[in-house]
Parts: sequence; structure tokens; C-alpha cells
Amino acid sequence: MSIKYNREKISDGIHFTTLLNERQKTNTTVIHLVTGLSRDTVSLNAVIPYVLAGTNSSFTTLTALNRELNRLYGSVIKGTVTKVGDSQVLSLMSGCINDKYTFENEHITDGLTELMLECLISPHIENGGFFGKDFVLKKQELLDDIEAEINEKRSYAFKSAALRIFENEPSAIPVKGSLETAYAITPVSAYQQYKKLLKTAQIEIYFVGANEPVRSKEIIKNAFSALERDYAGDNSSALSAAKAQVCRVTEAHDVAQSKMVMAFKTDYKSTVVLKLMNAVFGGTPFSKLFMNVREKLSLCYYCSSGVNDKKGVIYVDSGVEHSNAKKAEDEILNQLENIQNGNITDDELENARLAIINSWRGVSDGARSIADWYFQRNYSNGSESPEDFIEMLKKVTKADVIDAAKSLKLDTVYILTGKEAAHNA
Amino acid sequence: MHKKQIIKNERIGEQYTYVKHPSGLDIYIWKMENYSTTHALFGTKYGSINTKFKTKDETDYITVPSGIAHYLEHKLFENEDCDVFSLYAKTGASANAYTTFDKTCYLFSCTDKTADSLKILLDFVQDPYFTDESVKKEQGIIGQEIRMYDDNAGWRVFFNMLQGLYHNHPVKIDIAGTVESIAEINPGLLYKCYNAFYNLNNMVLSIAGNIDEDEILEICDKHLKPNKNIELETAFEDEPENCAHAEMTGRLEIAMPLFNIGFKANPEKGIQAVRAEIETNFVLSLLADESSDFYKKLYDEGIINSSFSSEVFWGDGYFCSIFGGEARNPRLVLEKLKTEIERTKKEGLDEERFDIIKKSYYGSLIRDFNDAEAIATLMMNSGMEKLTAFDIIETVAAVTFNDVTARLKKQFNISNSSISIIEPLNKEGAE
Repeated sequence: MSIKYNREKISDGIHFTTLLNERQKTNTTVIHLVTGLSRDTVSLNAVIPYVLAGTNSSFTTLTALNRELNRLYGSVIKGTVTKVGDSQVLSLMSGCINDKYTFENEHITDGLTELMLECLISPHIENGGFFGKDFVLKKQELLDDIEAEINEKRSYAFKSAALRIFENEPSAIPVKGSLETAYAITPVSAYQQYKKLLKTAQIEIYFVGANEPVRSKEIIKNAFSALERDYAGDNSSALSAAKAQVCRVTEAHDVAQSKMVMAFKTDYKSTVVLKLMNAVFGGTPFSKLFMNVREKLSLCYYCSSGVNDKKGVIYVDSGVEHSNAKKAEDEILNQLENIQNGNITDDELENARLAIINSWRGVSDGARSIADWYFQRNYSNGSESPEDFIEMLKKVTKADVIDAAKSLKLDTVYILTGKEAAHNA
Repeated sequence: MHKKQIIKNERIGEQYTYVKHPSGLDIYIWKMENYSTTHALFGTKYGSINTKFKTKDETDYITVPSGIAHYLEHKLFENEDCDVFSLYAKTGASANAYTTFDKTCYLFSCTDKTADSLKILLDFVQDPYFTDESVKKEQGIIGQEIRMYDDNAGWRVFFNMLQGLYHNHPVKIDIAGTVESIAEINPGLLYKCYNAFYNLNNMVLSIAGNIDEDEILEICDKHLKPNKNIELETAFEDEPENCAHAEMTGRLEIAMPLFNIGFKANPEKGIQAVRAEIETNFVLSLLADESSDFYKKLYDEGIINSSFSSEVFWGDGYFCSIFGGEARNPRLVLEKLKTEIERTKKEGLDEERFDIIKKSYYGSLIRDFNDAEAIATLMMNSGMEKLTAFDIIETVAAVTFNDVTARLKKQFNISNSSISIIEPLNKEGAE
């Protein structure tokens, strides 16, 4: 079902986008501050959304803010930080139920908008920095998060692989930084960075709900047009070039099962074609990787591929017994070669196409997913709807898929394995 | 014609249809206008805990090895000719299956060709096919899955806690079973369990989305094989009221100690269990959610961090409240928690916060009605308990402060708790 998309500029480098669909029972607002990834600022930026989402100048403790959110029918304000290509994205998200579902017709949507903007624009501060006591805790959490990355071996393998895949590129930088960069942040340095971002960052605001948010829009417009701006310009990401020689790394940890991440680089232009190629290769549970590497040969417990279209990378993510790692790698390469040689049945191609259409059609059913869809498109200077992409996908031919596969160059093979296995290898 | 029962709720202005199908199956259908996605679930009341059962033709209960429910889930996805994923590939649906402690569900989600996907779902779940060879092959894949969870600290800390809480109840055993228990599985056992638990009288079909109700029922008429009611009964070993172990510890390669603290309570059934869950959730919020004084104090002192959370965990024959997170000194968290529970029992819960917690709880439930997957899951879960999908939201709206106070006194016995800690490999103690 189609969504009413409207994007307007409300200040220099600041856009407000509404995504309306009458059946929504909730209202969701997302504010992204987009800036370049850099080692100097990565941890400063990473702590900011969490500090902002916890308190503001009126509700100066987490407890007070949470009580206010509970009063607004369990509304939420959340901070997150993510990586998109070479950019770091600091986000504040708020969500509440539509006013008409409250017990006594209360106006909670506009109240939540005000509360969220107060978090963003009027934080709890002291002595020229963020409020010290809260900041220390958020900083400790950032440090804990970075340390805890080791707990989840699959995502840890992914992050470690990224260091090699994107060597010397901004995208290699872990989204929360390192222990070293995180230790260095202070309430004052983070606050100064925050002030700078409000001036210079690309700001993208999305509202998803049933009705035009007349009053909330006014509140947002007024708040952002009052900001003093010195816009640094739109963000973009550079495609990652393939290395002359494949980078191979094996890291030893205390694990029972090894994790292998392989990365291929491509400069192929069409995202839509790459997505279809990826779906045939390893993006679905009937893809070549799933059917052969996992099901037929039982080499991996999981084995799937994905696309990072901003950087031109296709990666394969697998969980494998160490003794099978070489076999699995050979079979993964063999399956890619199959696609490059045109060994794709009509069923494989059409089924992959259907699976993508199915998932793109569903995007508009979820508030977060539709807001993220348009953010990803806007970031790449586009504004295509899921339906537009589906029309493009319908036109992709087998020859296009083969061309896209041929453009892939193996760049990195990263293996995280048990100490025993690494020793014997 | 099918006898349709419309289940309505005035509060949120929604309704869905229930049909008791002649085949024995309970069918729930919720039409969502203007949505693209349809979500369908075909589930059986059969999970990892159901290892002891009998039918009306048998006099004695039989006990089977752990892990069969999950094993069956894997095997059903493979029918005689091909993998089930390849069948769905032709409809574009995304399909999956999962096994929990008390149910096994097969699902798909699609935006087109719902009828074709539904036929696939109904057919493959009703068409078991196990041979010695295919059973052996699966032992390799599931063995790897079990090993993958061995490395997962969040999973381990949880199961260690269940082993601390329970003496005999099978909830304490991994859903996938153990490498040893799955080695005992053979086609004969799989058929035995399949025939008992995949009887349509023990199953539910739940479907939400932009669908045509009559078309769905027509497909059901054609594709459901009538089952006679075998009056399946499940049973558990007697479970003492007290905990098996006060403390369970382990080590893995992690950064900071992880902990789960469980308070064991007496299990309930049906709407009583739902009431208990809801009232206990209120107690947990009042005691220790992010807005509580207790949370703030421990957070400010650095005893807990934002990973601290709590939940109610219950099913057939078990009920407990769990607090978990990361902490440098988990035993100190337990001590503070026990003190707070005792203090609250004497001085009372924070009545001022009760109303706003109710609004918050209610608001979070409203949000679920946005989404086909959440709705289908809600209809399935409540259907399996013989409840309606609106019972939870109505119970929340009706809960009083006195109910919650009574629940605190009944459900939180500080001498009936168990703490599970996973410590980092390289450190000696948590202190």
C-alpha cells in the first residue's frame, strides 16, 4: 500500500519528511544527525545520542524523564548510533500511540514531540559540558559496550573483518570507536562536539503516522529554524576498491564453532541488480549458498550473503567447523563462479526476484522500516519508493546478474576460530 | 458452511474470526485492510518440555529423549522430494519455523499469492517423512546448532539459572536437547511424537493480513486431513517448591560478568496464568524498572548498567520472575534486590506510579496491533491457552493496585531464588 511521501527543506541542510498512512496506530519520529566517520570524533559522537535520550533541561534525571514517558502511554525516546557507508548517524527516535487510543482522548503526540526536541536542543548541562554525573555513566556504558562486543562472536567476527575489508577508509572505524578513543571523551569535549554537530551536520527528520502532524510539524520547524547553522554539506560514501592481494586473517578465541567472513568488492553501478545477484547467491534460504554449502554439504550451520551498496561490498557470513573452513571457502567461490558462468536456472532467478519484491512490499507496513527506507534513499540522493524499486527489479535480466557477479573480486577472508584449531592449522 | 465466531473488542475497535474446523483444528483469521503483508502461523502445542505423554489408547505415560520437538521442526521442513524453502520460493513468501518450550510453529509472511503459500504450509506440516539416512544427516546440523549456543553467553546464563531453579521440570534443558539426547533419536520415535502432537486437535492456524476469509477456509477444507481426537495428555515429574541450587556459575570469553536472577513461584494455568503474568509485570515495573528509585540508586552507584532488565517467564508447570544484565558484582545486585523486596513488602509499593505504569503497559500493547506478525502471534498464543487476543489488554486495563500488592506477597519469596553468573575467562572473581 502506498505511503504519502513529502520531503521539505526547513533550514540549511535540514529536511523534514512525512510518511503518512491512515492505518498507523502509532506515531514515530526519527531525527538523524549525519556526519563523516573519523577516529577523532567517533566516540564523542557515539555517546551523544545516549546522553540526549536520557535527560533534558526540564527532566534532569533518567527517572524523571521515564516517568513522563510512562505518563504519555509508554512513549519511548531512544538514542542510537549507526554506520552508513563512510558516515556516522546519530539518531533520536520517539514513538507513541495515536491520540485516539488514549483512555481520555489525551493529546500525547505533540507533547512527545516537544519532549524529544527538548532532549535534542536543550540538554541537561553544567560548567560548559554535559551534566557530569550522567555523562560518567553513559561513558562507562560506551566502554562496556565496546568491551562487550566480544560476547557475540558472529557480530564480533563481522566487526573485525570490517577493519580489514575497509583498511584506510572511514568505514573501517567501529561505530562506537575503540576503548582508547572512548576513554578520552569528557563532558566538555562531547558537549562542544554536540554544539558543532547542531550547526554543521546534515539533519534528516522523519515522521511516520496516520495523519498530517500539523502542530508537531510547527514545533519542529520552529525549533530547527531557530538553530544557528554553518552547514558542512551533504554526506556521501566512496566505493571501496579491491586490494591487489586477498587479505587473509585468522584470529584465535575461546569458541566451539568458527566464524568465517568473506568480502567481495564491486564497482557495479546498479544497487537493484546487485541485490538480485545477492539473492541468487546467498541472500535467501533457497539461494545457492544455502542449498549447497549448508543443506547439501552440511559445511556450515549458517551461510548467507549480504550487500553493502554504499561501499560496493558483497559479504558472505558463515558459521563453520574449523576443519571445514577451507572446504567451505572453496564451495562458496565455486557457487559464485557458477553465477558468473551463467549457471542460473530461470526458477532461481525468478524466485530470488519474488523474494525481494515480497520484502520490499512489506517495507511500508512498518514505521521504522519505511523511515529507514527513505533515509537510505535520501542519503544516496534518491527518493524512490519501494514500488519504484520493484518496477526496476522487474526489468533486470539474467545477463545483468551475470555481469554483476563478474564484477566481484575477492578482497578479504577473515576467520575467527578456536585456539586449539588455530594452533593446529 | 463454517460456524464462525466473531471476537470483538470495543476499546480498540478491532475484531477477528474464530472457526472450529471439522478436522479438529482451531482457526483464527484477522483481516487487516490496507496492509501489504500477510502473516500465517501453523502451530502445535508441542515444545521442548513435552517429553512425557499418553493418548487415550495408552494406559501409561511414555518418556522420550529431549530435543525431539525441535528435531521434528527441522525434519518437517524437508519433505520427500525437496526442501520446503524451495516450494515457498515459487510464491515469494519468506518462511520460517521455531520451537519454544511449549510450542512449535511454522510460519510464512508474504505480500502476494497467499493462497498458494497457505497450501504449502498446510501440506508439508501434515506430511512427515523420516528415514534413517535423513535423520542421521540432521544430527550433524543440530549438533552444530547446539555447539553454536554453547558459545552464547546470554543463552548459557539463562539455562544455568533454570537449572538452579528447577529440580525436575524439563524447562531446564536446552530446547534443542543435548548432543547425547539427539543421538538417541530415530524415525520410530519421530513418528510416535509426530502422531501424538501433530494431531489437528492439538494445533492452531492463525493468519492476519489483507486476506479473504472465505478463501482461507476453502483452502483449509481441501487441505486439512480430518483427525480423530486422541485425547492427548502431557505430564511432568513432580517439581518441589524450592530451588535446586542457590547459585550456578560458568565461564566464557566475555567482557563483564553476566547474570540472571530467578524467583521461583507456583505455576498457574489459562486466564489465571495471564493474570499472574500481568500482575507480576506490574510488580517488576514498580520494583525495578528504569523509573524506579531502586533502579536509579543502583545505576547511579554503578552497581547495574542500562542492560539491567526484568521479565516474567512461565509455561505449563513453571513460573518465575527474572532479573538480568551485566554487572561487575552480580551477587551484590542479588543482595540489594532481596533487601528491596523485603522493604517493599513491609512499606508497600509506590502507589503513585501505578497509574502511569498502567498507561505505559497499555500503550505498549496497542502498538502490537500495528503489525500482522504480532497479531497472528498473539492470536496463536492466546488461542493455545483457550483465551482471546483481547484478554491481555482487557486484564491490564482492569488490574488494581491491591491485586499487584497481593501478587508481590504471593510471588516473591526471597528464600526461593537462584542466581546464575557467567564470568569472564581471564578474571578470578567478580569483585
